Amino acid sequence: MTSTLYLDRRSPVHRLNPVTKLVAMLTIVVIVFAVPLWWVAGLIVVGVVVPAAVVAHCGGRLLSLSLKLLLPIIVVLVLVQGLTFPGGKTVLAEWGVLALTTEGLLFALGIGSRIVCLVLTSVLFVLTTHPGDLMGALTERGMSPKFSYIISSTLQLIPAFRDRADGILLAQQARGLAVKGSPLARVKVMMPLLGPLVLGMFTDVEERSTAMEARGFGSAARRTALIPVPDSTAQRVSRWLMLVLAVAAIVVPIVFGVL
Amino acid sequence: MSTSIAQSSSRRVRNTVLVAVGAVIIVATYLYLVIGQPAEVAESSTSRASLIAMGGYLIGALLLAIGSIHRLPTATIAMVPVAIALNIVVGQIVAVIGLPLYLDSIGTVLVSALAGPAAGVVTGILTNVIWGLTLSPIALPFAVVQVVIGVLAGYAARWGMFRRFYLAPIAGAVTGIVAAIISAPISAFVFGGATGGGTGAIVGAFQAMGQTLLGATTLQGLLSDPLDKAITFTVVVLILAAMPGRFRQRFPFVREYRVFGKTSPKPTGEVAVER
Amino acid sequence: MISLTDVSYAYPDAEALTLEHVDLEVERGSIAGIVGASGAGKTTLAKIIAGFIPHADGGELSGTVRVDGRDLSTGSLVDAVSVVGLVIQNPFNQISGAKYTVREEIAFGLENFGTPRDEMQRRVDEVAALLRIEHLLDRSPYALSGGQQQLVAIASMIVLRTPVIVMDEPTAQLDPAGTRMVFDVLSALRETGITIVIFEHKLELLQQHADRLHVVADRSIVLSGAPDDVLADDRLAQWAVGTTRYVTAGRLARERGLLPPEVPLPVSFEQAERVFDRERSVR
Repeated sequence: MTSTLYLDRRSPVHRLNPVTKLVAMLTIVVIVFAVPLWWVAGLIVVGVVVPAAVVAHCGGRLLSLSLKLLLPIIVVLVLVQGLTFPGGKTVLAEWGVLALTTEGLLFALGIGSRIVCLVLTSVLFVLTTHPGDLMGALTERGMSPKFSYIISSTLQLIPAFRDRADGILLAQQARGLAVKGSPLARVKVMMPLLGPLVLGMFTDVEERSTAMEARGFGSAARRTALIPVPDSTAQRVSRWLMLVLAVAAIVVPIVFGVL
Repeated sequence: MSTSIAQSSSRRVRNTVLVAVGAVIIVATYLYLVIGQPAEVAESSTSRASLIAMGGYLIGALLLAIGSIHRLPTATIAMVPVAIALNIVVGQIVAVIGLPLYLDSIGTVLVSALAGPAAGVVTGILTNVIWGLTLSPIALPFAVVQVVIGVLAGYAARWGMFRRFYLAPIAGAVTGIVAAIISAPISAFVFGGATGGGTGAIVGAFQAMGQTLLGATTLQGLLSDPLDKAITFTVVVLILAAMPGRFRQRFPFVREYRVFGKTSPKPTGEVAVER
Repeated sequence: MISLTDVSYAYPDAEALTLEHVDLEVERGSIAGIVGASGAGKTTLAKIIAGFIPHADGGELSGTVRVDGRDLSTGSLVDAVSVVGLVIQNPFNQISGAKYTVREEIAFGLENFGTPRDEMQRRVDEVAALLRIEHLLDRSPYALSGGQQQLVAIASMIVLRTPVIVMDEPTAQLDPAGTRMVFDVLSALRETGITIVIFEHKLELLQQHADRLHVVADRSIVLSGAPDDVLADDRLAQWAVGTTRYVTAGRLARERGLLPPEVPLPVSFEQAERVFDRERSVR
């Protein structure tokens, strides 16, 4: 009933504490952005992300989702930076103002490899982590329960909202509206769509907040959780190790100037 | 009793510090990227610049959000999910219909107008977190943009920009300019200008004309953001006018700053009459 | 237990009072039924008893509201909600939306108040058994029918064990069997000393279960008394409050001379049976 990309599978990756996975994701992102070598990102994808996806039984879904997200970006990136990169010197081919340069292609490779790594890692995180578990784990570590409430509640609201919007949109299209005409005309058509939808949802808010407060949402008591989040010493240690790794990835290139 | 008062006042100090530090980090990040980086970037790698852009903006936005959320009463917290869902669903519909706009911050601006900048900050950052969880993680590095929109829309409301129908698009356009400037380093250094087909082509055109990468993404943002936000603010002022006065006046922020003046804004002009 | 004295209230920026000179007494461990036409101010009264007015809604409240000996308008809303539970009208809005299973949904309030985990588990199981919703515990709260959501909403409130529970039309979405079960549960709760205020249209069930009935009309409580006396009152129609079909039958019988005016009107099936049996034997 939620709208996230989460895939319910039984796997060791799914069973990890959500915070461990979050720290791993952030560490990977920090490393690929801090170390300006495109093959580092490649290595992480091949050596960490892909094996983890296979273990988690999410390989196919990860591939199809990431391709959909990445393909347009990479194509545009290679075209735009390959042809118009301001620092381009070594010209491979030239058409008027457009010049295919080695520097441009290398620049696109550098940026592209990082984006690929960023997207694959974060999509895998979302695929293997139930949002409820993630919120529980973060609240346990001191995140305001208000954040957790807003995120969980939105995730359940979106499908309901989208159903209503789709219904109205279909009705508009059936009347021959919404699909044709100038952008301004299309905006005008969207207004009657938006109005009732938004007003209905916002007027429900009053009751909803009453119900939440009646159940102690404003209480200052230290919250407890019905369902414990599993954790282990090994994971605790590995989280600290990853943190050290991330800091090293930032500090080492600066201090030693090797890269 | 006195300890709880001391506690709440120390918490208030902590929240103010968080908000201040967050804001300073965001501004400092932008200044560093604009003043400190362009020469280095033009040569080859944007790696360090992109790490600073993402890290600085994300940490700044998080601190702002953490400092803001404690001030929000439950009635506001309950409204935020609706606003985020509105951002995401409308943003998606607009993309499907094929409008050359984003319209993905209607909810953020609406919440800011009713409950102030702090509420807008929380709505803004969580919109991108949820966008990342449900649709595409590419939204996440841009979280700071929604945060800035939330802050500016909140102050626009305090200054009475939602009292008249013609003032809202002006406030929107100004917000759009700031949003374009703030988001440009992310588009440039993290995504190499390639955040989408149309926008990428525009960035390429500006680069071909001799702009730097950051210059090109800034100009590209300035082409689309002010218009997008002007429309967004206009849509919001129309939605607000359609809301029952009793509902709007329930918000302490609306009453304190007389966001809608003494009475509700009276619809004028043909767009409003159509409803 | 609950004592309202000369309470008047106006919503913020409203020109007219929503409630005026309301007096209400509810005894500890009793069920008070409150009836009235829609729009008469019942939801407002529910929020006053539960402390949401003035804490959450603002506005002008005058008079005194005392629950369990305390003036609710002085403390905070959190103080109020730990004494009075409130079940709102629409179960869809009562559900927190932040929980993925019914089990967690019922525990939401307990988590907020910091109840230890093993006690939470015990109390959730208990209340699920009481309302016979054990089979729903692992479902999503959004995948339930309206009636099931209503039972979950009631469960998530009584699990908090507040000494007072206010319910705003808690059986609107339930079928007759579900409605009877809820009233049976309320009667069982009353036996444990809990005080219940229920806003309801189902007068025959109120007649069976409530200790007193109060009629809201013209922005005030216009009539309070034992259910049998209130339901037989001739003025109910003028306040747009219905009555039980037995009273209606009794009135028809009076009009046609089948029931002498000095015989009190029957309000329940049992009373009707008794009255008409006696009349028949007299003839």
